[in-house]
Order: sequence, then structure tokens, then C-alpha cells
Amino acid sequence: GQEKDKYIAPSAERGWNDPPQFSYNLQNARGQQKGHLTRRAAPPTSSAPPTIPLSSNPLAPPPCSLAPPPRLQGKKQNCFMMKCCHGNNRSDGFLTAGPPTTTTPPVQPGSQEEEGGGDQTQCEPDVEVVLSSLNRALATCRQSVKDQVCNDVEKRLLLLDDSWRAGKLSLPVRRRMEALSLELRAGHWDSANEIHRSLMVDHVTEVSQWMVGVKRLIAETRNLNPELLEQLQDTSVTDQDSDLLQG
Amino acid sequence: MSTYQEFIQQNEDRDGVRFSWNLWPSSRLEATRLVVPVSCLFTPLKERPDLPPVQYEPVLCSRANCKAVLNPLCQVDFRAKIWACNFCFQRNPFPPSYAGISEANQPAELMPQFSTIEYIVQRGTPAPLIFLYVVDTCLEEEDLQALKESLQMSLSLLPPNALVGLITFGRMVQVHELSCEGIAKSYVFRGTKDLSAKQIQVQTLDASAFCRFLQPVHRVDMNLTDLLGELQRDPWPVPQGKRPLRSTGVALSVAVGLLEGTFPNTGARVMLFIGGPPTQGPGMVVGDELKTPIRSWHDIQKDNARHLKKATKYYEALANRSAVNGHSIDIYACALDQTGLLEMKCLSNLTGGHIVMGDSFNTSLFKQTFQRVFSKDYNGDFRMAFGGVLEVKTSRELKVCGAIGPCVSLNAKGSSVSENEMGVGGTSQWKVCSLNPSTTLGLYFEVVNQHNAPVPQGGRGAVQFVTQYQHSNTQRRIRVTTIARNWADAQSQIQHIESSFDQEAAAVLMARLGVFRAESEEGPDVLRWLDRQLIRLCQKFGQFNKDDPTSFKLSESLSLYPQFMFHMRRSPFLQVFNNSPDESSYYRHHFVRQDLTQSLIMIQPILYSYSFYGPPEPVLLDSSSILPDRILLMDTFFQLVIFHGETIAQWRKAGYQEMAEYENFKQLLQAPLDDAQEILQTRFPMPRYVDTEHGGSQARFLLSKVNPSQTHNNLYAWGQETGAPILTDDVSLQVFMDHLKKLAVSSSA
Repeated sequence: GQEKDKYIAPSAERGWNDPPQFSYNLQNARGQQKGHLTRRAAPPTSSAPPTIPLSSNPLAPPPCSLAPPPRLQGKKQNCFMMKCCHGNNRSDGFLTAGPPTTTTPPVQPGSQEEEGGGDQTQCEPDVEVVLSSLNRALATCRQSVKDQVCNDVEKRLLLLDDSWRAGKLSLPVRRRMEALSLELRAGHWDSANEIHRSLMVDHVTEVSQWMVGVKRLIAETRNLNPELLEQLQDTSVTDQDSDLLQG
Repeated sequence: MSTYQEFIQQNEDRDGVRFSWNLWPSSRLEATRLVVPVSCLFTPLKERPDLPPVQYEPVLCSRANCKAVLNPLCQVDFRAKIWACNFCFQRNPFPPSYAGISEANQPAELMPQFSTIEYIVQRGTPAPLIFLYVVDTCLEEEDLQALKESLQMSLSLLPPNALVGLITFGRMVQVHELSCEGIAKSYVFRGTKDLSAKQIQVQTLDASAFCRFLQPVHRVDMNLTDLLGELQRDPWPVPQGKRPLRSTGVALSVAVGLLEGTFPNTGARVMLFIGGPPTQGPGMVVGDELKTPIRSWHDIQKDNARHLKKATKYYEALANRSAVNGHSIDIYACALDQTGLLEMKCLSNLTGGHIVMGDSFNTSLFKQTFQRVFSKDYNGDFRMAFGGVLEVKTSRELKVCGAIGPCVSLNAKGSSVSENEMGVGGTSQWKVCSLNPSTTLGLYFEVVNQHNAPVPQGGRGAVQFVTQYQHSNTQRRIRVTTIARNWADAQSQIQHIESSFDQEAAAVLMARLGVFRAESEEGPDVLRWLDRQLIRLCQKFGQFNKDDPTSFKLSESLSLYPQFMFHMRRSPFLQVFNNSPDESSYYRHHFVRQDLTQSLIMIQPILYSYSFYGPPEPVLLDSSSILPDRILLMDTFFQLVIFHGETIAQWRKAGYQEMAEYENFKQLLQAPLDDAQEILQTRFPMPRYVDTEHGGSQARFLLSKVNPSQTHNNLYAWGQETGAPILTDDVSLQVFMDHLKKLAVSSSA
């Protein structure tokens, strides 16, 4: 599923009039602000209060059987929607009611790539594969990075492993960690970082204990000298999971 | 008229400037008769994706007391390689690097389309950004947990080279030494006594220890994440009937002193997170006895707010110290009761820091608003900038009276400084310690030409805005905007001057003056002042027959202005008794820094109506717009309200939206939500979100904002039963306009 489109509808318990929550990617996918809700109605010219043709009499008692709203005339009518220049967000209605429409939300250049390369991969991410990628990177780092730091990272990777195996991580988190590990293997540091940020923003409760270790791992790995990096990437390519790497 | 609209819009798009008058009266006397001063809203760092910065130093006028920047208004002799300053007329040679310029080969800063231009300059070594978290631990467990997670999350959003520090407080104040070694150390201060900066330095041992409190994120993120994760609630037990002892004053003093001692004149943000009011030590706002409530507006009016003066003075001193060093202070206040924003607001108002007000840290409003502090622009850089210094230069016929916005005076005297002060005056330079692309200042000018003096040679007055600042990528930059407007003789060209009036800008500029006054004057006096200006303006520009109110007319360029003033009078910025002092402070804080569009929304909320009968349309902010078969979307800036009319609500309750044949009803329900989405996704701070319906308790948000054209007083008098009646004694717009017209046309006024 497209988790990037997920909203959390406002919760009455959490805060009075709390607004809905947007995912990190949706937040960042915003284009140039069009600001289309800025018009005002012309002021009345006379001093009498504005009169508007009555469509129904609000002061009458409600009808005994509710009059239903006007029915559809044939096809769906979209013309009641405000014309938005960026108009594709219609599918991202933040009441998660109904499947998204065929339009896709706009993707900013350089923004996060699709998770795992597509939504065809319905198979469960493999914790072994993910952790082995991360641990391989850590092992390479040990050759030049301070012990203290590597140990701290290792501690957190263990926490990640434990949490995952104990079933404490939700599917979106597991999916994104899989994607992150792939980006890391491919040397796509910025993408890997984006995924780490999106996880911290959208799922902080689940990931905060160990994510900073992954963040540090990305930072240290990208700074490795070229020979070590090559070493790391060589072993990745020969790995049998290379079919998961998308073009 | 449409030409001025276009002119106004083009200028705003290019220069981030909106002037109240776009033709300037050529004498002081005539300018005062126009009632609304020559003034402008200026957005120094307006986002300009189409404006690439240039990588060289700006060329300055060589006259010592001028130093204006070379700009498109300057006369240039390309052959002799000399330019004439348009402000002081000094002839200046071009620097050697400009030897190759010619008519056909001009530097960018001379071209009219670069009336706004940005320079990247080298000024010593680039300094890292600094973020100092000051965290209240007297929170409920759930709240503290949510706050901790938000802070941990923010570490992932900070640039790796930024410096970060942590101070926690409750009854005591703890400064945490950040290191990448295992052992966590901290220095503890009593929360009851204030300390001078020197004392803080002495008590925390040597200068090198001092530096260990602020460390680069990339080095300490793992340890700091753990440290944050392990933070506990303040251990001091809170007895029944008491408030926790919260030493906010000392905590801030330590924070300000720490930054002062280690990084003066470097961009830094102190981020204060509080869950309740300061209850002990300097800056306390209320005592720890719950039976003594925190001050209300009534208490303040009756002079019954014990701690108010002393606390305000304390925080003002801290705010000024911070501003002097270019450090900004944010306040994130999440609590169900007040937290002392009234006393502490200067910390943010003087330094450009944010104030965010919520009910709890465990809300999406806080979490997402906080995330947006770290939002990035189209280049992947933070939208925040530091250490802003704005200088305003004017041509001889104009002087600067002052500025209203998140700034402090730099006391820069000179020939362009007027003796009449409006806002923060007596200077032509201000410091804005922290700013972002929407930060907007109101600047007020005075025409000083004597009456009957000839219209100045060349016919145009000019203003130059020079903003130096530290970009979030640590570069130092200078943005220069130079604008000009024609002088006009008010005697013969009053209609032209009138048609150059920007009523939207004028409304916001006058409103800012009103809010500024409200800080030191009584509420009713401010309203009277606002009313008096409005009446004078109508007397000056209204077309009418004496003593005949029905003949009164305003031209198009002024037609919306009275309505803006009507709404301004009713607004929470000037009507304080419906809100707590903290809420009023919060609303005013945001009002005096937003750009024009957002400010107008705050003054007169936007209202859109959705129905089956056509596309969504803006409707009058009037009770007659509330109809049973309409959905209304109201944006007040601070709240987004979706109101379902009675019939809509009944249909919704009956579940028609779930039925396939009523897909159009489902779409109707969805439409306002979709339109609200852009606002919800981008606005800072995130607004409250109210989904309500006819008869709902939260309908009051809508009902209190609309013009009560139908009230229980006049519902039957009008004989119409349209719209929803409002139960209020507020005067309606109609009554207001009637009174206004009567006063404007009266020959005895």
C-alpha cells in the first residue's frame, strides 16, 4: 500500500480540535503554495442585510422522512471540487475512506523514491536480509571508525533485531527498513537518510530507541574511504538478494 | 484601478513590499491629511526561487553617512565608469572589477528586474547553527514521553554540523554535558536564585567545560538520544492542591548566559518547552497554590496580578540580552491552563522566535508544528535564517518613523530617522535575530517636505531595504531591495493618490499600529483611536452630500477598508476579554509578523460555501451565509472550521454518504476537507481543526466570527427568516456602517 498517503484522522481524545496528521512524505511533497482559499465575497452595497434565495426553510421542523440529497445523474460529477492547480491530491483525502482515485500525488524532484521500487512486492521483508546488510556495513566501518561508536551502533542494531523478531515493529516500519537497507547497499546515502527521517517522523515511538544507530551507520558508511566502500559494495553485489535491487 | 492592482501585485511578487499609498503626497501637511501614513509591509526574505544570489560584495556609496547600495535607480556614466547615488547624489567611481561594464553589459544590480537582489558575502569563517533545548520536566508522564520523542525526532532533522545542547528543569535546573563517552554529567543550579552570566561561567568550571554543553549533532546524537530517552519527570513530589515548582526563569537565564559566554553573535535558537507556568524563582508568574488562579484580564484590569510587572521585567531583560547576541528564543507551551505567555512573550517577540501554544505535547498540533520548524525550502535548506539586521535608507523627502514586527532597535541615528515614533522608532536599523521567508515587518514613514515646496526633481521618492543575515547553510548574505514611487501634489492630484491606495496593506498597517498601542494603552482608547482614523479617512475620501448619510460612497480603492476595520475591532487582537491573557499574547505575537495575506485572514476570516448548486464560492462573513444545505469552510488562520448546515448534518447522520447512489453527497462532504488540506499541510503554526455542525457546541467558532446581521434584536424587524440568527448584542456591520456614514457626513464633526 502507499503508506506515504496515510493520514491519521484527528483524534478527539488527544487534543481539543487536534488537526489530522500528515506523513513525512506527504508533508514534503507539497508544491508551490497556490493559496487558492483567499477570495472574499464582495461587500453588500446597501445597508439591508444580505438576502439569499431560500433553498429550504431552516426554521421549519425537520421533515418526517428525510429528503435525500439530489441523486447522481449518470456519471460522477467532479465539478463541485475547487479547481486546484496542483489538483492531484484529490486521492489523498485525509479521511481514509475509499480507495485512492487514479490520479497520483505529485512527487517533488529528488524526493524519496518509491518504497522498495514498487507495490508489487507483497512479500514480508526479511529481517535476516535487512540486518545482514546493516551489519555488513558496520563490519566495514569497524576498520576505520572508533570502537566506541561502532559498539554503540551495534547495540542499537541488536535492539532493532530484537524488536523486529518480537513482532514489535509495524509493517510500514519493516517495509521502510528494507528499503533503507537496499539504498544503503546501493550507496544511495541521501535516499537512505530520507527514509530514516521519514521513519523518525512518522513512527518515532517504534523506532526511536535504535534508529539513531542506523542514522549514524549511514553517516559513517558514506564517509568511508573509497577502498573500503568498494569492498563493501563488492560483497553486496554478489549477494543473492541482488534481484531485489531495482533499476 | 486594475492597473494599480497589477502594479501592487507585481511589486509584492518581486520585492516583497506592499505600500499603503503608491503615489506619495509631496508635503508633510498633505501626508498627515491622508490619515493613513505612508507605510509598507516588507518581507525581507520573501521566497524567490527565480532569484539566484550573486557571489560578490555589494557596491556601496562612498559617502560615510550614506553607504547606500548600487541599485537600478542610480544614474550611471558607463564611459567614465562613475555612478551617482540616488539617495545622496554622491558621484562614486566603480571598483576595478567593474571595468568591463557598458550599456550592453550591465551588472545585475543595475537592472530594473533586480530591484531585489541577494549577495553572498564572505565574512570570516562560517558559524554553525546552534540549537539549545530547554525542557520542563514537570509534565504528565504521557506528555513527557511524547515530548521526548519529538525531541529525539528533531535530532534527525538537524544538520549534522549543527551544535546542540540540553538543559532540563523543574525545581532545579540541570545543564547536561554532552559527550560521546559513556558517563553522563550535568551541572545543577538552584531554581530559586538568578545568576549572572559570570556566576554561571564560574560555577561550571573552565571555558572548555563550557563548550562541552554544546556539541555537534553528528558526534553526540546517539548519546543525546539515549539521554533524552532516559529523562524522568521532575522527582520532587507535588503535594495535593499545589502546582509543581517550575524554575523557568533560572533555566532561561542559564540558557541565555551559556550562549552569551560561548557563542555571542552567532545564529542560535533557544527552544523552551513548558507544560505549565513558572512557579518559583525570578520570573515566577503564579505561586504554587492551586487555589490561587493565574491572572486573568480582569485581574490585570483590577491591578490584581501580583507577579506581572516583576516577571515581565525579568523576561524583558533576558530577551534584550539575547537579542543583543543575535540569539532567538522559541516558546513551545503545551498545557490546558495558561503558562505565562503574557509575561514571557517578549522573549520571542523581541528575538523573532516562535510561540507555539497547544493543549499537550501528545497532540498532532504540537508534533507537526514542531516538525515544521525544520521545514526545508526548494534547495533543501532550512527556512530559518539568523542574525538579521535590517537597515532602511530613504531619499531626502522621507524619514523613517519606526517598525512593528519581531525586531529590536539598533539605535542607529541619522538624517533619515524621524523624531515622530511609530512602533519601534528612533532608529533606521533593527535586529531580527531569527527570521523566515514569511517574516514581515511594518515600516512607517514620514514625508518631510514642506507644504508648497515644489515637487522634488525627478518626481520620485525612494526607499532601500538592506537585510544582512546568516543563511541556514551558514553563508552570510545581504539582500537589497530598492523601490521608488512617484510624488504627487495632493492639491491637484488627490484622485490619483486615492486610486493608488492599497486598502489591504493599509488595513494591516493600521491594525499593527492598533495592536502596538494596545500593549500600553487601555483597550477602549485603542478602539476609539482606530474609529477616529476610520472616520477621518471617510471624511477625506468619501463622496457625499453634507449631513446626508445615504449619499455616502467610497471609491473602489477604499470600499473594503471599513469592513476590515469593522472586523479588526471585533478581533481577538483588540477584544481581549473573551480570551485569556496568554491567548491574546499568542494571537498578537503571530499577527505582527505574518505577511499580508495571512494577516488579512486573521483580521477578516475567509469563508467558503459548498453546495450541490455549483462550485464552491467565497461568501460573506455573515450569519446569512449559514444555511441548512451548505457546508462552510472558515479559515481564521488559527482555526479551520468546517461547519455542516442542518440538513447536511442530518443527511450525514443518516449515512447517505455510504450509499453508492449518493456518491455526489460523499464528494460534497469531502470537498472542503480537500481544500483545507493545503492549508493544513503548510501553515505554521498548524491551525486547530474544528469539524462541527448546526447546533454543535463548537459551532460557536463560526458564530462568533460572522457578522451578526441577524440577531435576536433585529431578526423580526427585518421580516426575513434567512440565515441563522446569532445571539449577541454586538453591533452588526450594517449598523456599524450606518453610524460611520452618519459621522463622516456630519458637518459638526
